[in-house]
Parts: sequence; C-alpha cells; structure tokens
Amino acid sequence: MAFFKTQWRPEEVDLWTKEDWLAIILSPLAYIALFIGLALSMLLIPVGFVLLGIGIVLTWLMFRIIGPKLTAVSAEYEKKQKEYLERLQRIVTWED
Amino acid sequence: MIAFAFLDWFWLVMFVLLMVGCGILFYRLGRKSEADFFLAGRGLPWWLPASSVYATHTATDTPMWVSGVIYKYGMAGLWYTFFAGWCAISAFVSTRIFRRSLAYTQAEWQTLRFGGMASHLLRGWTAGWQVFMNMFILGWVGIAMGKLCHYVFGWPEWLGLILFSAICAVYVLAAGYWGVVMADFQQGVIAFIAIAIVSVWGIMAAGGPATIIAKLKAMGQGWRLNPLAFTGLSGGNFPFLWFVTMMVIAVIGGFGMGTSIDWYTEAQRIQSARSVKDASYSIWWGTALVLLRNSIWAGAILGFFVLFPNLTEVSQYEFAWYRIGFENMPVGMLGFFFAAIVAIHISTISSHLNLGAVYMTRDLYHHYINPRADDRKLVTVGRVSTLILLIGSFVFGSIMENITEWLIFALWIMAAGVWLPNILQVVWWRFNGWGYLSAWIANLIFSWLVVWVLPAFGLMPSLQDYQQFWILMGLGALIYIPVTFLTKHENMDHLVKYYVMSRPIGWWKPVRREAERRGLI
Repeated sequence: MAFFKTQWRPEEVDLWTKEDWLAIILSPLAYIALFIGLALSMLLIPVGFVLLGIGIVLTWLMFRIIGPKLTAVSAEYEKKQKEYLERLQRIVTWED
Repeated sequence: MIAFAFLDWFWLVMFVLLMVGCGILFYRLGRKSEADFFLAGRGLPWWLPASSVYATHTATDTPMWVSGVIYKYGMAGLWYTFFAGWCAISAFVSTRIFRRSLAYTQAEWQTLRFGGMASHLLRGWTAGWQVFMNMFILGWVGIAMGKLCHYVFGWPEWLGLILFSAICAVYVLAAGYWGVVMADFQQGVIAFIAIAIVSVWGIMAAGGPATIIAKLKAMGQGWRLNPLAFTGLSGGNFPFLWFVTMMVIAVIGGFGMGTSIDWYTEAQRIQSARSVKDASYSIWWGTALVLLRNSIWAGAILGFFVLFPNLTEVSQYEFAWYRIGFENMPVGMLGFFFAAIVAIHISTISSHLNLGAVYMTRDLYHHYINPRADDRKLVTVGRVSTLILLIGSFVFGSIMENITEWLIFALWIMAAGVWLPNILQVVWWRFNGWGYLSAWIANLIFSWLVVWVLPAFGLMPSLQDYQQFWILMGLGALIYIPVTFLTKHENMDHLVKYYVMSRPIGWWKPVRREAERRGLI
C-alpha cells in the first residue's frame, strides 16, 4: 500500500486527510529552504546550494503528494459550482 | 540625475505602449460582466494569477524596503520579508476554502460565513476599510515613484506620482481585471529578468561573491552572512523572540483569512483561477517568486554594503538596489532598467485600483445601493470607482509625508489584535459575527492604549513590536471570547450551507453532523 494516495473516490476528496497535513508541513519548509538557499547561493556559499537542493526536493515531493488530491477536489467541486454561484447572486440581491 | 540616450527612451516608450495596448486588446472581454471586469470570468490557468501575485507584491517601494533591512541586518534582514510565507499553508488551506465559497471579496465571504445583522455590519465595515486601504496603498506606492523620478530625472515629486499611475489607469479602466492580469504577466517577466540582471551586475561590481565575503570578514562584519545572527533571546534589534513571533504570524497565519494585509489582493486572484487546484498553485508559486526575488536582492545589497559601508541614514541606504542599477548599467540598458521599474510600479497600481473598485462596486453599490443593477451598469460603476480611487490616491500621495506614521499604525492595528480572530473565523464553527466584530472594536481601543497612550503617560514601558503583538492578541481575546459565548452561534441552516459549500478545516463537528443528518454530504 502506498504511503500517500493518488487515486481518490468522490466521497473522500472533501475530507482533510494525511496528504493535506503533509503539504501543510512540507510547504513552509520548502519555502524556507528555497528562500535562504538561493540568497546564500547568490554569494556562492556552499550551504546555500545544499539548502536550495533540499528546497527543490521538498517542493517536488509536496506537489507529488497534494497534486492528485487537488485535481480530485477540483473535479468534484466544479460539478456543483453553478448552483453555488446562483446562491451568491441571490445573497447579493437580498433574495437569500 | 541620470542621462538617458535614445535607446533608453526607446525601451521606455515601447514598454508603455505595450501596457496601454493590453487595455485596448482586452477591452471587449472586460466589459462583458461584473465577473469579467473583476475576476476575468473566473477562468484563468494558475500561472496567470501567480504572475499577478508576484507582480503586485513587487512595488516601487519594495526594493527600497528590502535594501533597508538587508543593509541594516545583513542576511538576517531577509526574515523581515518572510511575512509573505503565510501563503505556504494558505495555498492548501484558506485558499481552498475561500475558492470554494466563490465570494468576490473577503467582505462577501463574511456574509456567507456569518449571518444576520453582524454579517452586514462586517460586510460594510470590511468594504469601507478596504476602499480606504487600497487608496492609501496607491498613494504610498505612487509617491515612492514620485521620489524615484525626482532622483532619476529631477522631476517634481507630484509629476512622477501622477504620470505613471494615470497611464496605468488607462488599461484598468478599459479592461478591468483582464487588463490587470494580462499586463501583470508581462510586467512580472520583465521585472524578474531585470531584478536578476541588475543584482548579478551589482555583485560583480562589488568584486564578485568571494571578494564580498572576504571584505565583510576583513571589516569584522562576517555576521552579516549569517541568516540566524540573533542579538540575544529578547534584547537588541534582532532578538530570537522576534524571529519566533514572525514565524508564528507568517506560517500559522496561513490557516486564516486576512491575517496578512496581502490576503485581500490574493483573494481576488484566488477567485479568478479556473479551479480550486489552479487557485492553490497560483498562490503557492506566486509567493515563491516573491520570496526568491528577495533572496536575489540580498546578495546584491551585501555587495553594495562592502562598497558603501558607512551610510547611516535610511534615506541613503534604502536606495541601494536602485543605485546599483543606475550607477552600473551601461547606456542603452538604463532605459530597460527604468522600464522594469515602471513595470514594478504599475503592476501594483493596477491591482489596487481594480481591487478597491471591486469592494466599492460589489459590496457597497451592488449589495447596498442597487441590488437590481445589470452587468452593464455594474461595469460602469466599476470604472467610476476606479477613477475615484485614482484621484483619491493622488490626494493621499501628496500628503503622505505627514500621515505616514499614523497610517503605519493603522496597518499595525489591522494585523495584531485581529490576527487570531482571522484564523478562528475559518477553523471554529462557534466563533460568530459578533465575536469577530467585537475583536475589531477591542483592537482599535487596545492598540491605541498599548502602542501610544499608556507609554506616553508612563503607565507602561514602550514595548518592542513583537511584544505588542502578543499583548494585543491576549487583550483582544479577553473581549471576543466572552462576547462569542454570550451571544448565540450562527443559525444552523446558514452554517450548514456554508459547510457543505466550503468544507472548512478545524472544529466543525456539530455542523458536519447536522449536514450529514440532513443528507447533504
């Protein structure tokens, strides 16, 4: 069994799952590694390149984990989007 | 003053024509409907709003601000720019929740999340505050351009303030958000290339990376290369506790909506994306570019430091990156550099003109004044609102010197005491509109007391900003937590509709159970 899911059933996509929490943890770490890594790399400081490399790997891993779920969330949600837009219009015109 | 050759003027004029051309090209799309004028029809692939996030948050005053903190604190100064890191979590949490709400604005989202009188008071308040804030930001950024034009051409400041904002207004008035986002893409690309070229040029002008490092060490300034050069636990000008506070604000803030002033511009980009996935990707990658841009600048500013190590006035060293460009770029490239600065400038101006207009049109005019207005009328009102914001920004820009201190305070009060309520409104079902409203009112009172009044009368010491943040957060909670529990939770029908549509994260169990009981999920 894979550590994270890549195939999602409709009833699963709206739940907050392990994949979301992994993205929540990896994302700030990726930002920090890329951010500091590039700054130090601009001055050719070796640890900068190491951090930059870590940042790229973390970014790749994060999107690998969360990408399939976001695709599934989008597909499920867009089936209902028209109905929600109509409700929004009713609220702005005081009908709801 | 800088002398421009024919080639320099050529770059500049071509760039301005390209931008105004965008307005003409997308005029027909922008006028179709309210959703087109303000959200580009909700159909953009992720890389367009991402480039707009990046371009909007690269303003004329941004290199001045980044230059200032890097020159003063070295690499550690980078953390002052890491507040943008709130998008790390937001891209996968609040962005997803907000995109699913489909609200045009944060003010509209509050009427979906909260109900009754409190939600309408909040919608009016948030919309009014955002109109004011956008006008202020336009004035702030506009006068920075005025100062730059004075430095480059010797023009009076008002000329630089008015000229480029007015050029930008042509395509915003014509094509609305379509013009903004299409121009932002071009401006983002031009600005990023210019930032990379000028910064590398600056590093080489200082002798290259090895020379910069050697000189810093010889000057006894080697600590400037350390991004974690703290001045102690709580003392000095870069204490560890400030760093921890910044990390909490930046990272945990991503669970909320409005925890950063940038949320409001991002909210518009989120809704313009064609899907939930595109919205998430656009916020993550747009902010990644913002952070990487700061990293590129940092090396160049340290190069500037080794060339000019004895500048003590902020007004001198905040021009570091601009000086690198204007004093080192060859003739012919100066115009390209200045065109990139114009790109940086008008991408911010265009975004805030359209953003202020959406609050005026959607939340104030459409909701409160003329709910029956058709799309044609709403687009016209959008254009009039854009014009009002433009004129207002000229007024703000011209008096900015006198009001800056007060307005920085206004920005601060927006961030500190309502930071936690901005998260609670997303993650906790029981938090209601009255709780949120009371948090705002309490914050207005407590921030005046803690920041200005009590220290002025010697009743409490003048605290560092990170200390003020925690105190304001605690004091505010003493008001809005009791108010929340002393008033009813939002109507369950309202909460269930919101839950089914948005699927928020956090403590929503009673609402989820009710939605399941009704067979809605």
